[in-house]
Amino acid sequence: MTFNVLLCGVGGEGVLFTSVIIARAANLEGYEVRGTQLHGLAQRGGQIPTHIRFGKGVFSPTIPRGEADLILALEPVEAARECYFADKKRTGFVIDTYPIIPVYTSLLKERYPSPEEIRKMIAPFAKKAVFVDASNICKEKFGDPIYGNVMAIGVAISSGLLPLKQSSVEKSLRYTAPKYWEQNLKAFRMDLKFRD
Amino acid sequence: MENPDILEKAGKKVVLLGNEAIVRGALEAGLGFSACYPGTPSSEVGLTFADIAKKVGFYFEWSTNEKVAFEACAGAAFCGVRALTAMKHFGLNVATDSVFPVAYVGVHGGLVINVADDPFGHSSGQSEEDTRRFARVGNIPMLEPSNTQECKDFTMIAFEMSERYEIPVFLRTTTMVSHSAGTVKLGPVRKPKIRGKFVKNFERYYCIRPILQKMHENILKKIDRIERDYARLNKAEGDPKSKKGILANGVSYQYAKELDLKNVRIGKLGLTYPISRKFIIDFIKNLNTLIVLEELEPVIEDFVRGVAKDVNPKLKIYGKDILPRVSEYSTELIRERIAPILKIKKPDFSEQERELKKLKLPTRKAVMCPGCPHRSTFYAVKKVLGENVVWAGDIGCYLLGIFKPFEMQDFILSMGASLGVTHGIRKVSDQKVVVFIGDSTFFHAGMPGLANMKYNDPKVLVVVMDNNITAMTGHQPHPGTGFSAVGEPKEPIKIEDIAKSFGIKNVRVVNAFNQKELQATVKELDSKPGVSVLVSRGMCRLLMKKMLKKQGRKFPLFQIEPGEKRNLGLLDKFACPAIMKRGNRYYINPDMCWGCSVCSQICPPGAIKPAAKGEEK
Ligand SMILES: Cc1ncc(C[n+]2csc(CCOP(=O)(O)OP(=O)(O)O)c2C)c(N)n1
Ligand code: SF4
Ligand code: SF4
Repeated sequence: MTFNVLLCGVGGEGVLFTSVIIARAANLEGYEVRGTQLHGLAQRGGQIPTHIRFGKGVFSPTIPRGEADLILALEPVEAARECYFADKKRTGFVIDTYPIIPVYTSLLKERYPSPEEIRKMIAPFAKKAVFVDASNICKEKFGDPIYGNVMAIGVAISSGLLPLKQSSVEKSLRYTAPKYWEQNLKAFRMDLKFRD
Repeated sequence: MENPDILEKAGKKVVLLGNEAIVRGALEAGLGFSACYPGTPSSEVGLTFADIAKKVGFYFEWSTNEKVAFEACAGAAFCGVRALTAMKHFGLNVATDSVFPVAYVGVHGGLVINVADDPFGHSSGQSEEDTRRFARVGNIPMLEPSNTQECKDFTMIAFEMSERYEIPVFLRTTTMVSHSAGTVKLGPVRKPKIRGKFVKNFERYYCIRPILQKMHENILKKIDRIERDYARLNKAEGDPKSKKGILANGVSYQYAKELDLKNVRIGKLGLTYPISRKFIIDFIKNLNTLIVLEELEPVIEDFVRGVAKDVNPKLKIYGKDILPRVSEYSTELIRERIAPILKIKKPDFSEQERELKKLKLPTRKAVMCPGCPHRSTFYAVKKVLGENVVWAGDIGCYLLGIFKPFEMQDFILSMGASLGVTHGIRKVSDQKVVVFIGDSTFFHAGMPGLANMKYNDPKVLVVVMDNNITAMTGHQPHPGTGFSAVGEPKEPIKIEDIAKSFGIKNVRVVNAFNQKELQATVKELDSKPGVSVLVSRGMCRLLMKKMLKKQGRKFPLFQIEPGEKRNLGLLDKFACPAIMKRGNRYYINPDMCWGCSVCSQICPPGAIKPAAKGEEK
């Protein structure tokens, strides 16, 4: 069996970092890992989905349509944009509600949906959806919204939507970013109701 | 971000990016030299080399373009040192003129060219391109890994093949291989051989008649031997008695495996030039149906059709008749197209499709960062020259000026093309043309175009968007930056000095974050005859942000004065992503402002000011 995580957000939010943390944690637990890390124009505020797949007998680096087990979104509209990979019977969502409104919204006279509308959009694709104001909480606690991504991993684990052990994620955080380890650990544990 | 796993111990299993696995493979092969020019999806090969070159003890540089980088690697390989260069597909277009003759003369140390194609154009405009065709034109062997482990293993095999047959070898990847992550089992790193010697040999190095024909014959013989000796790079799986088969290369093979098909034989080509005729014969001789899975051009398909005529003329072959020749493949696309042939079930997405259609989402496109110097330059140039101008575009972050509100890149073709094309336009048309070209692009391919323009002297304003780095591909230095790939100080070559040395009289250097000075200089140069050059200089803001973070320093933060009542509509024409609009009121998102101050310069005085101390980021 393969567990499929789709991570999305906006360039600059740490989507790549988050995917490295999850991939490394899965590797520590002995899973075979596959995935994608598309760079491209990511750092210039574009949308950037990355795929992580772990388990046994994993082949394609990308998640096939409708086969995501978890969509971890660091920006709410981006969660909706990835629903192609979601399935009502299978997919859990963890969504950081911190909106990043594109400059194009006013230039093209479009509308950015309200939090209520986003909930409604996600519902037909979600087995379960957890909304958390992670970036704002982290901004308040640590003075920087950037830790929101690590908090979101913690939320995913505590909600039972990401089958990885707390200890392996913590090891992965320490190994990947030793300089920011303490902050990251605090952000990660913020919402954990420890189970393993 | 440096990945510490690249240098992990032999025997360990780690997760690497395809590009990182290529680097690890090179280290395990004893690489001594590498030179690259960045181009996504291959950029992280060089970025990773740059991170570890000093630690491991091999040479690495970012060269001015792919041709120069390849030539440098060839020089090292002539001297017996193992060398690798990595480039995106367009890079190979630039380098090819040297790649073909180097294949004729051959190498002593292994020479590997990683070329990364980008079907779909995840990180490229310009064109979709299948570089497997290049291998055939130049008679140069080509290996194609399909996942991260193979990226490492095939790199090592490529070095071995290159040295054994004294021929450069292509390692061809695509975005979904270069940028895929995966578990890799590591082997031992070999101590690099970094010194060598050039041995003169007329017979070997001079590609002229009649040696030329001997060389040509010789390379064809090498290709024949490689076809025989490296058949092990191909493999066939599944029940040998089954009548249906799939033949694939690269990531298409992984998509096929993902489908977990029963009673279908799967063949995988790891060596796509030369294709082993024997392997193909064995694979197809007992089949009645064959599906060829390869993105872009029907290279394998054409070959197989040729072979099948002789050995299995009744074989029904599917390829580009059921799958597209453009863009990339995916598991679901392949399933969709082969389902009727293999009689497999397709999942039903009709309900999902209905729900997807209902979603109305705001457009999100890449934009220039908050505080980007390019935005400031575009704004000033348009403010002075208005709309009635042909804007010649080029390749770099400034190509984002193609979108609203600027729309100041009327054509974007290939690196440096802004200059040559503008020259042609100006010789046949009286329209005003302004060229935008980046600093890295200027060193890469801008100089010949500028020399030609100056010599033939049409009236043109050339704006060099000098942000002191190659930004779009992830911040690589170039000869103007003053430091090397491994962080050593260098004497920078100034673009204004180059322009002046060509005899261009009107060359100005302006601070890209100073609107007043920028606008005055554009006005001044617009009145001059002939070619003038405006170097708009201001550091890439993202790079500066990273540097400040390292030093523990912060940007000043700007804010719109709370009681401000004047019309700030000009901000719509500037479009800094940190400036948001609620109804008719603007506000600056403090999490996004990178303190360039330009918004405060274009608004009525006093409307936007630096925030009080303590509110810096
Ligand atoms: C032949 C070729 N090599 C590499 C690239 C990839 N590439 C796209 S943009 C770019 C960087 C351009 O840098 P610069 O001109 O300084 O502009 P900046 O991104 O810094 O604004 C590169 C190398 C390409 N498109 N074509
Ligand atoms: S990376 Fe640098 S040059 Fe590119 S858009 Fe951002 S600030 Fe501008
Ligand atoms: S100072 Fe103004 S233009 Fe510059 S980043 Fe901040 S909001 Fe954007």
